[in-house]
Amino acid sequence: MSEPVARVSPFAIAALLAGLLALLTLPLFLGKYHLHIVSSAMIFSIAAVALQLLLGFTGLLSLGQAAFLGVGAYTSGLLATGLKLPFELTIVAAGLLSGLSSLILVPILRLKGTYLGVATLGFTIIVHLVILNEEWLTHGSLGLMGIPRPSIGPWLLRSPAAAYYLYLSILGAACFVAYRLVIGRFGRALSAIMLNEDAAQASGINVTLYKAQAFVVSAVITGIAGALYAHHTQYLNPNDFSLWRSIEILLMVSVGGIGSIGGAVIGAFVVMLLPEALRFAAEYRMLIFALLLIVLMGLGQNGIAGLCVSAARAVSRRASFDPGRLERRELAE
Amino acid sequence: MTIAEMVELLVGGLAIGCIYSLIALGLSIIIRATGVLNFAQGEVVMLGAMFGLATYRLVPLPFPALFVAGALFAGVMAVIIELLIYRTLRVRRVPMVNIVISTIAMSILLQNGAQLVWGSEPIAYPRLFALEGLQLGPVRVAPQLVWIVVLALGMMLALQLFLRFTRAGLSVQAVAQDPEAAQLMGINLTRAVASTYGIAGILGGAAGVLLGSMFYASFNMGFLPGIKAFVAATLGGLGSIGGAMLGGIVFGLIETFTATSISTAYKDAVGMVLLIVILLVLPQGFAGAMRRGR
Repeated sequence: MSEPVARVSPFAIAALLAGLLALLTLPLFLGKYHLHIVSSAMIFSIAAVALQLLLGFTGLLSLGQAAFLGVGAYTSGLLATGLKLPFELTIVAAGLLSGLSSLILVPILRLKGTYLGVATLGFTIIVHLVILNEEWLTHGSLGLMGIPRPSIGPWLLRSPAAAYYLYLSILGAACFVAYRLVIGRFGRALSAIMLNEDAAQASGINVTLYKAQAFVVSAVITGIAGALYAHHTQYLNPNDFSLWRSIEILLMVSVGGIGSIGGAVIGAFVVMLLPEALRFAAEYRMLIFALLLIVLMGLGQNGIAGLCVSAARAVSRRASFDPGRLERRELAE
Repeated sequence: MTIAEMVELLVGGLAIGCIYSLIALGLSIIIRATGVLNFAQGEVVMLGAMFGLATYRLVPLPFPALFVAGALFAGVMAVIIELLIYRTLRVRRVPMVNIVISTIAMSILLQNGAQLVWGSEPIAYPRLFALEGLQLGPVRVAPQLVWIVVLALGMMLALQLFLRFTRAGLSVQAVAQDPEAAQLMGINLTRAVASTYGIAGILGGAAGVLLGSMFYASFNMGFLPGIKAFVAATLGGLGSIGGAMLGGIVFGLIETFTATSISTAYKDAVGMVLLIVILLVLPQGFAGAMRRGR
């Protein structure tokens, strides 16, 4: 028997508050370099949340996220360096253009499972090659330099901490948007599609439309993450948006836990920060990273979020010993 | 373009296409038997190339012998990885996604391991073939390409014979069709899945030696061909053997002809555009179309 959905475990609330507090106070404790890395992790969290919307809530495997990230990053970077447009405009343009580019892919959304994964993978390769070869526009393999830091109105966010809070608030907004979409009518339609596409169609859900909407929303959020990335690193290289980046975002979502927005954020932090934390191991760090990844997958849970849920469940079961529970379970079975 | 040039291109495209076919075949039989999309297949290709090279440094054997040595070593490695890792995960009944993600981890592990062992610089393969081409009428063909096509096709033929006429091959096929029924018929599932990975490893390793002899060997040489083979297998229809062969060869030909007639820089992009268009028309690849036609 499943527990009622509305009941949120006190552990989850405590963990959420603790995490929020940690994120809010982090700039006080970190040096410049570490703040830079954490800020990058924050930006990729946004991209991971966007993929989570597709993979975890609609059941669409997209390996095209690096392309949307790249479209967003280069749109914002080029508008800022070439036309000297302000940050608020370039970031909106990045989201819009990324969303527009995803419209090209809407016809392929009827592909299923791995086939969709391969087709979107193809899109990533195409966009990567365009960024690499259209030198008149993107400066090719030289990369795009001199992108200004993010600014709000007249204030240029010169201090890394200020930029950090900007990324944090955009991540918060992305999570909020994803959460609102997922819990409402829209989200119920998506999960119906994920569970059984034919049944969803038969129940009057416009499968194609909903899939397309989820895809475009995901692309817009990813494009915004790309814009933040451009202004954060101030330098773009085509290889930042290769296929490997798509795989990395997929890793983030599955490490964190498929089907959990918080999980996507945790996963992004783990995938971005763990190799940094393993720096002491020098050239062995990626080996250790890969081994840890295999161990995590071998635990058989749905990523770190799944691990936390079952740990919290085990603790609360022990804490609130209830003699009637066993009988109830027997009855249920 | 003259006819002679066309033929030369055709042979070149066929050679690279055969290499993609071998890798794609490995991917396809693993998907068929276990449903797992093996992201580490490209790294098995790299292992084959590296071991072929190591063998040559030990004993300068002729090319076909290196080919066999590289293929066998990669096959053994693939079996070890399967028994040590993927099988452990399967026994623990982890979700399928976890196994796929662990193949990505395996790919990272093997690439970085190879970088530690063999360094980051690409290593040139020894010159194993005569440089001057074989003159066939007006057409001049590099002997290397002929060797590649012959060895790859031989490998595919051997695979067909193995799957059709040996007990091990038949049990691999049975497990691919229905693991539970196969087990009820007394087939050892562990052994059948391990031999599936073994065969995929042999095919990948063979492709590695061929690829290495065309270009060079390096720790990350497998990633891109692995991805392209993945695309080829999808074009053919995931899990279909004939589809994987056809998909690989078609992809190799498309790539070669685009590189010479349209643009070298965009050769991969054209392949991908065609992939997307073909999938739009045939959502399950060539194999899906063949099934429907029947």
